[in-house]
Amino acid sequence: MLQPKRKRFDGLLLILYVNLVVIGLFMIYSSSQSGDSILDMINLQSALGRQFLFAGVSIVVLLFILTISTEFWKTFAVPLYAIAILGLILVLLLGSEIKGARSWFSIGLFSFQPAEFAKLGTLLMLSSFLSNFRTDLHEWRSQATIGLILLLPVFLILLQPDAGSALVFAALLIPLFRAGFPSGYFILGILLASVFILALVLPIDILLYIILFLGLAGLMLSFDRVIYWISVLVLLSVLSVVAWMQDFMTLMVGVLSLFFLILSILAYREGRLRYVSFVSLLMVLSASLAYSSFFVYNHILKPHQQERLDVWLNPQKCDPRGALYNVLQSKLAIASGGLEGKGFLEGNITKLNYVPEQTTDFIFCAVGEEQGFIGTFGVILLFTLLVLRLAQMAERQRTAFSQYFIYGVAGIFFLHYFINMGMTLGLVPVIGIPLPFLSYGGSSLLFFSILIAIVLKLDFGDRLR
Amino acid sequence: MSKEGTGENLIISIVFILGSLILVIKVGYLQLFDDSFKDRSRTYAIEKQWIYPSRGLIYDRHDRLLVHNEESYDLMVTYNQLDPRMDTAAFCQLLGIDHQTYLDQIEKDWSDVRYSRNVPYIFLSKVSPEAFSRTRELLFNYPGFFFQNRNIRTYPFPVGAHVLGYLGEVSREQIDRSEGDYLPGDYLGMSGLEAAYEGPLKGERGMQYLLKDNLGRVVGAYLDGQQDREPLSGKDIQATIDIELTRYAEELLANKRGSIVAIEPSTGEILAMVSSPYYDPNLLTISQERGKAFQQLEQDSLKPFFDRSIMAKYPPGSIFKTIVGLVALQEGLTYAKRLIPCTGAYYYKDESWGCHHHYPCTSIQLALTVSCNTYFFTLIREILDMYGPANARMGLEKFNGYLTAFGLGHPLGVELNGEKAGFIPGPDYYDQLYKKRKWYSPTIMNIGIGQGELQLTTLQMANLAAIIANRGKYYIPHLVREYLNDTLQIDPKYRTPQVVPIDPGNFEPIISGLEQVMLYGTAFASHIPGVTLCGKTGTSQNPHGKDHSVFFGFAPRNNPRIAIAVYIENAGWGGDFAAPIGSLVVEKYLNGEISVGRQALEQRMMETNVNALP
Repeated sequence: MLQPKRKRFDGLLLILYVNLVVIGLFMIYSSSQSGDSILDMINLQSALGRQFLFAGVSIVVLLFILTISTEFWKTFAVPLYAIAILGLILVLLLGSEIKGARSWFSIGLFSFQPAEFAKLGTLLMLSSFLSNFRTDLHEWRSQATIGLILLLPVFLILLQPDAGSALVFAALLIPLFRAGFPSGYFILGILLASVFILALVLPIDILLYIILFLGLAGLMLSFDRVIYWISVLVLLSVLSVVAWMQDFMTLMVGVLSLFFLILSILAYREGRLRYVSFVSLLMVLSASLAYSSFFVYNHILKPHQQERLDVWLNPQKCDPRGALYNVLQSKLAIASGGLEGKGFLEGNITKLNYVPEQTTDFIFCAVGEEQGFIGTFGVILLFTLLVLRLAQMAERQRTAFSQYFIYGVAGIFFLHYFINMGMTLGLVPVIGIPLPFLSYGGSSLLFFSILIAIVLKLDFGDRLR
Repeated sequence: MSKEGTGENLIISIVFILGSLILVIKVGYLQLFDDSFKDRSRTYAIEKQWIYPSRGLIYDRHDRLLVHNEESYDLMVTYNQLDPRMDTAAFCQLLGIDHQTYLDQIEKDWSDVRYSRNVPYIFLSKVSPEAFSRTRELLFNYPGFFFQNRNIRTYPFPVGAHVLGYLGEVSREQIDRSEGDYLPGDYLGMSGLEAAYEGPLKGERGMQYLLKDNLGRVVGAYLDGQQDREPLSGKDIQATIDIELTRYAEELLANKRGSIVAIEPSTGEILAMVSSPYYDPNLLTISQERGKAFQQLEQDSLKPFFDRSIMAKYPPGSIFKTIVGLVALQEGLTYAKRLIPCTGAYYYKDESWGCHHHYPCTSIQLALTVSCNTYFFTLIREILDMYGPANARMGLEKFNGYLTAFGLGHPLGVELNGEKAGFIPGPDYYDQLYKKRKWYSPTIMNIGIGQGELQLTTLQMANLAAIIANRGKYYIPHLVREYLNDTLQIDPKYRTPQVVPIDPGNFEPIISGLEQVMLYGTAFASHIPGVTLCGKTGTSQNPHGKDHSVFFGFAPRNNPRIAIAVYIENAGWGGDFAAPIGSLVVEKYLNGEISVGRQALEQRMMETNVNALP
């Protein structure tokens, strides 16, 4: 066995962490109401003061975690997961309702969001399960267990409802991917997600036609002489465009279906029944999803969620007064920063409430407006280095548990910053999740600090080289 | 260390880098190259401004403008853009308001969802033109304030308030229900045609995005106005009313409580619909004084907001005898030249119902002319007992079937809100009224002379006159003839003829009776020389004091041009007030003026204060 080098904490990760926390404190100070003075950092009634307090608490907790044995997290993964699930159930029953969602426990001045803890608990549980020697990812029982571990907290969080936090659990697909979870699931997931989004943009009949076309293409390309089949496909697509413009789509649907039927029989003759049924199943699945996405959109999503999807996908049909306006103001604030920004404390648009939630979810606007492209690029760079460093560290772990855990942490950070920034830039729908370390909020700062602390400790104890 | 997986590690790292790259490209494009936010350094905010369309105009049947828009300006304010160092005193002086008003208008209840510190709200509505021109030039000194152009309604003729209606501020529920059509502070029709035709009159709001600098000055249009939307003006409508006739009817109703409805029988178009007491519609246009005026009108004990032409339910009195006569003729229960003796009262068992002294009624015409009670008690009993005296229930149902066909017992369907159904008592009603005791035709025969529980609106009475004038056909009375300069059509129900199940021939004896009423019957004093006015008076007993004075009729007898109903509360005999007033309105409409011989009558009608009579 390799002899570990002299043990030390990962300096780069620590530096990135401290940098982001300090930037966060400055941005919160700058973007909170103009009444705040620098003295407010000792005033617990002010946003800045409380954030300072939490930064302090976070550092204490971080130091404390560094003293806990690495074994603790492996040993107590299951109980911690159970506690997390219990917390999610309790918050549904006892939590205080804020803006129509039961997501928080309020204790005095401070509040606590069990969904944050659930992310940690679920990640621990997943890493523990994946690293168990009995787990076989190609066996259905393990797959089902993983599904249960992930979907139970997601389901409970959706009940609150808090779609943003639930979405973050998608980050756990990264350790799953690394562990070699069958790639068919990932491909299927990506495919179905695309169909779902396309269904909201395209008219249903066109989408169904595309599904039919792609299915046919999949079937054709399984035969020999691919080059001929490709030319047939090119011809068919030209014909489709003409048909669409000249209004004889029904005929084209008939032609394609006939083609599909003939090729299926041919493939069956060649003994490729499995492939034919796989393609057909995929088509049926996509088609039913295309239909059900309308149902989901109209009946399951709440009006504000529909609106957010519309802002993202169909801005022309949105009332510019509502959600579109928020994104517009957010983009304007960022754009107005230009290259160098307006300077610290000079961000008028963010400060004067033109941007919604300017200290929490839209804090990136303050960076954009005050620090310009230099600032936004810098922050994105810091986050990118953070997740890349985590991915790098994951690979040098001695135990699979540590490896999966650190990948999960990388995924959580990536999802948070990508979606949060993407939202302020209008790239993704408005989903209320915080920007790690920068967004105001003690609970989230503490949570991200704990993640960093555990990674530092695991790496300290488990590292190979 | 798990299975070697550098391939996976690479893919994951690439996903991370790609994600960040997308963000960097997007943010770089926004901050460095995107010029849709023109002049980035000066731009401070995008502000959305609504452009209000001009509301549709209302004309009368002779193309006289009844309601039009006058430009006015609201001073709007956005709380969070206010300059804390603003010179409030100078600002107040500029607008001519005191400091307290300023504070009252600025500080809103922020817990109220209607207000937000970031959304502009009205600081002062309908700023006077002088204050506007004074302030406009200096407004840039006061960030957060801006003027919004709005149209307010003005009424060249100060009459017809009940028909035209008024505008009011939209309520929270209406905003929620409208799904974005209305915003806080918007005005919409609250009553009358303004409410009934709110949709077409309103038009569609336009909108523009403006880029502003840090002093609130407009820097330019966002995306060069590509996202802006032009407002769509509301549609103009032509009302069916004749505003001069309306004015005349209001003058006649001065100092009286009651209503007049006049209909053009050949189309169902309402020529005038007046309720008294009335008010000048200009009192309720949007202005600083509106609230006070509104409160005063609302607290008035005579209830001027109550539209007596469609909301008041009255016993019709003797005018109802025409319907009884028509039904009896149609059912073959009587004939025109039938004599029914009357000895000054109707006797049944040991009870009697009074009638007044008159010469013998040898026909239904004469019975109407003198308004004989006995005659119509006899007829209604024959109708009720047509299936035998024990089956008055079935007879009543049959009779009520006719009444429904005549448009009674349900709202006729005029455009205005709040039209009442009136009331026609049915068998179930009498079951309840008499509990265990059985009821027979004599018990309820009061309805035969329009008394008892029967209730009609004035509009229904005028429509009855129109039905008789048309010999059995009518159109649902309505107030709007068409949309001007637009292909939009009015509701087809107003163009569909309704037919009453009475043979046209059966109307003639009744109409002859109505003509004689005006010649030597109960309304001989209201005869118009040269005009064959056919009418019938009614004197309706009621529990609220003196009898109501009722009249309905139409003219001329052939090819009638106007059908009318007049109802004056607590004014006594039908011939005293309702008939003269009705005849004056008819004469004014047909001849354009009142003949010399009747001007004294006109003057007496206008000047008598019925409200002050003992």
